[in-house]
Parts: sequence; structure tokens; C-alpha cells
Amino acid sequence: MATESSGSKLIVRNLTKAFRRQRDNRVIKVFDGISLDVHPSEFVCLVGPSGCGKTTLLRILNGLIPYDSGEIFLDGNSVIKPGVDKGFVFQDSSLLPWRTVTDNVILGLEIQGADKKVARERAQKFIDLVGLKGFETHYPYELSGGMQQRVNLARALIVDPEILLMDEPFASLDAQTREIMQSELLKMWVQAKKTVIFVTHQIEEAIYLADRVVVFSARPTKIREIVKIQISRPRPLSVKRTKDFLDYTDQIWEIIQEEVLKSMGREVEERGVVR
Amino acid sequence: MKLRSSQLYAFCSIFAGIALWQIGYMLLARSYLFEAFAINLFLSSPVGVAQSFVELLGTGELLTHSYASFIAFSYGYLLAVAVGIPLGVLMATIKKVNYYLDPWVSSIYATPRVALAPVIIIWFGLGIFSKALIVFLGAVFPILLNTYTGIKSVRENLIEVVEAFGGSTMQVFFKVMVPDAIPAIITGLRLAVGRAVIGVVVAEWFGTEAGLGYMVYDYSMVFQPAPVFVGIVVLIAFGHLAFVILERIQRWISPWYQFQLEKEVEGMGLE
Repeated sequence: MATESSGSKLIVRNLTKAFRRQRDNRVIKVFDGISLDVHPSEFVCLVGPSGCGKTTLLRILNGLIPYDSGEIFLDGNSVIKPGVDKGFVFQDSSLLPWRTVTDNVILGLEIQGADKKVARERAQKFIDLVGLKGFETHYPYELSGGMQQRVNLARALIVDPEILLMDEPFASLDAQTREIMQSELLKMWVQAKKTVIFVTHQIEEAIYLADRVVVFSARPTKIREIVKIQISRPRPLSVKRTKDFLDYTDQIWEIIQEEVLKSMGREVEERGVVR
Repeated sequence: MKLRSSQLYAFCSIFAGIALWQIGYMLLARSYLFEAFAINLFLSSPVGVAQSFVELLGTGELLTHSYASFIAFSYGYLLAVAVGIPLGVLMATIKKVNYYLDPWVSSIYATPRVALAPVIIIWFGLGIFSKALIVFLGAVFPILLNTYTGIKSVRENLIEVVEAFGGSTMQVFFKVMVPDAIPAIITGLRLAVGRAVIGVVVAEWFGTEAGLGYMVYDYSMVFQPAPVFVGIVVLIAFGHLAFVILERIQRWISPWYQFQLEKEVEGMGLE
């Protein structure tokens, strides 16, 4: 197993990935050399034009899908397969509908082979952390979308992962719930001291949450820019209306707009070739 | 148990139907038509059926026939479960198995299996084995096909959750695929009840000497409509009871599934 020592929690070096599109059997280059260093306990958000492969990158980092070339190190160890050192928070909460809140939260521990009773006791702490005390025996269909995402988060946190990979976890929530979840996530992040990689298509969400916002280009995807967000913490929700915040929004929006236009152009071109 | 309004309507509807039958029969009995067409050889009234029911119960005839049918049903149905579920799982999870078995399953499923009953009887005789086999042929396909569909339509995103935690193939199977497929499998079991009852009756028509199918056939040959209807009512009651029990089990094991269905119906704007 390859190793690399440095102060970084996660290192990505020259990552490339292509896949064959079934529709027309064309090889689509997704990543064209991505390199990124993430520090311990850092909150990094990934944004970019849709279809640029943000979610794909998250899946690669988790080991769910393979990559073509390059290197990924988590704590100096090469990432090859999924496991409980990475906590994945899914976009659609993906809770198992036949399990109660508690039993959904302990899924990762169970897969590791932990004793169910011990796991359930441990679950309480995380259910409390995400603010679902009193809902332990409820089933997912009895919960609102926001509450389901809290369970999703607790399920990822309980395995005490080295890194938290979050895939647009608030995308399907209504605007108010989303804002509340954002601010609560930051509180939990301070408590749990986890390294977080957070994918979103919402620029203001990225700025509000992140230490650094990584802006992707259109496909074949590269890192277009990394914007350091110098807004002091703790961040109240009202920070979203400050001038600094809006300046960041403009800055990132401009880059993405450019990339979106590029990707639209390319799409037209690709479709033209197909016909 | 709380009676819901839908159940109340259903009860009233059935009761009204029976009452209408009784009144119609009584009116008919007063008219000259009754004698002229010897209607009592073809039709009985609910009261007549009830009287016959008590009679047949008294002589032990009904129990003997019901027991014979129940045994044939049970053997055939359980065999169908024991074959249908594993085969459905294998066909859904292993491509090669599906390639080999699909042509057989599709073609046997498409044939009217009632047509096979006489063949089975000349091969295996009049005994319980033939009966169970005919029941099996009726019941196995709904079970197999629903199991197959259930496993095939397990949600990818749920599988991914277990995989993301480093879960093994076996863990994916038992923690996601099985529980997610269970409602569909039970639906198959429910549909299979009706098919199995048809199987029982058909098997007993082709020359056995016991069973409700035999009883129905035998009394119809001697123009005694009341016992014929007794047999039919018992078959209906049995089929319905088994169907309802399985529905209860489904609700009990997978309460989330019912919710999901209702939500989908709402989504389609039907309700």
C-alpha cells in the first residue's frame, strides 16, 4: 500500500476518470487531473456546473467507484475501498424504511460486526447530537425530510469516520429547513471536529459552510479555482446578508457562469456529432 | 378491531346481495315458472344453502371434503413457496440462471395449465401427488415472478448505503435486498392463493373421490344445487380468508410499504 506523509488529512493527486457513455458508446472524460489537499478538521465545499462530476468525485473518494489514474491518500494511506473510515451522507436520505431511527443510525456499526445492544446505546449520543431525541423508535416515513437528513447525518457520524463526505444533503429540503440544517451542521461540525467534503450546487450554501470553496470547471473537469472564505466563525445565518458574503457569491458565481456557458456549448457540439 | 367505513360498506353490500338473492328466489318460487322450468334443480336460496351447510356439516361430509382439499392445497402451495421464492431469487441475482430458466418459465406460464391436469393425472394417478402437483403449477408462477420482480427492483441507493460502509455482498443481500423485496414476495403469495384454489378444484374434477371440487361436481351431476353452492361458498371463504391473512401479515411486516403505496397513489392524483 502506498503511503505519503504530510500534514494533510486528504490528498488527491492528478486524479483522472473517464467512462463509456451507454447511449452512444462515447468515452466521456470526467476528471482531467484533479489535485487537492484537505487539512484536518477543514470544511471544504465543492461547487461547479451541473454534470461536472462533483458527486462522482465523492463516490471515488469513498471507494465506491474506481478511478483511472492518480492517487488518493487519507491519513497517508491510499484509498481503495469503502469502509467506516469514511462517512457518507447521501443526497436522498437513503434510510432503510423498515428500520427505526435507532436501527438506521447503527447500520455502519452493525456492518462492522458490532454488538447490536452496544451499538444502540452508542446511537443515543448521536441521535441527541442531531436533535432527534424522542424519535428513536420512529420509522423514516414518519419523519419530515429535514429529520430524515438528520438521521442520515447521525448514521455517518456514529462510525467515527476520519472524513465526512456529504453529497448535496440539503438539496431536497425547503428553503427554511435548509438554512436551519446548515447552521446546525456547523454547530455539529465544531463539536465533532471532522474533516468535511461537502458537495452542493448552491453557491451561498457553500460559502456559508466552507473554509474553502473548490470551484470545478465544466467537463473534462479540473479545479478552476479554490476560494478561501475568510468569514469568522461562528457564523450566524445573518452573515449571508453581509457585503463580504455577497462579494464571495459574485466572485464564485462569475466563474461558474463562465463554465456553464462552456458546458452548454460543448453539449450542443456533442449532440451534433451524435446525429 | 376497528371497523373502517370501507369495511362497513363492503359488509352492507354483501348482505344486500344475499338478501336480494333470497327475495328473488322467494318471488320466483311463487310464480308458475318455478314448476314449469323445475328451477329447484338448478338454483337454491341462501336459506336453502345454509340448511344444506348444516346438514353436510352434521353428516361429516363437508369436513371430509374440506380436509381433503385443504391437504391438497397445503402440499401444493407450500411446494410452490419452497420452489418459487428461491428460484425467483436465483433468477434475479444470477444472470446465467435467468438466461437458462427464463424461456421455460415464460412458456409454461403462458400455457393454460388447466390443460396439463389430465396429463398429470394419467402420469401420476388419482392420488394426492397429482392434486398437489396441479395446485403447485397454479401457485408457483405468481410467487416466482413476484419474487423476481421484488429482488430486481430493490432500490440502488439503499444498496449503496451498505456498500459505502464496506458491507459485503451477503450483508447487502440480507440487510437490503431481502427486506426491500418482502412486500412484493407477499403480494406473490397472495395472488398464488387464488391460483392454488383453482388448482384444487380442477384437480378434483378429474376423478378423485374426495375434496370440495369433487363435492361440487358430484352434486351438480344429480341436480342438487344447495350442496353445490355450499362447496362454492366454502371455497370462496377459504380463498378470501387466506388472502386477508396474508394482507395482514404484509401490513405487519412492512408497514412502511403501505405508506409508500398510498403516497404513490396520492402522487398520481387518484386517491
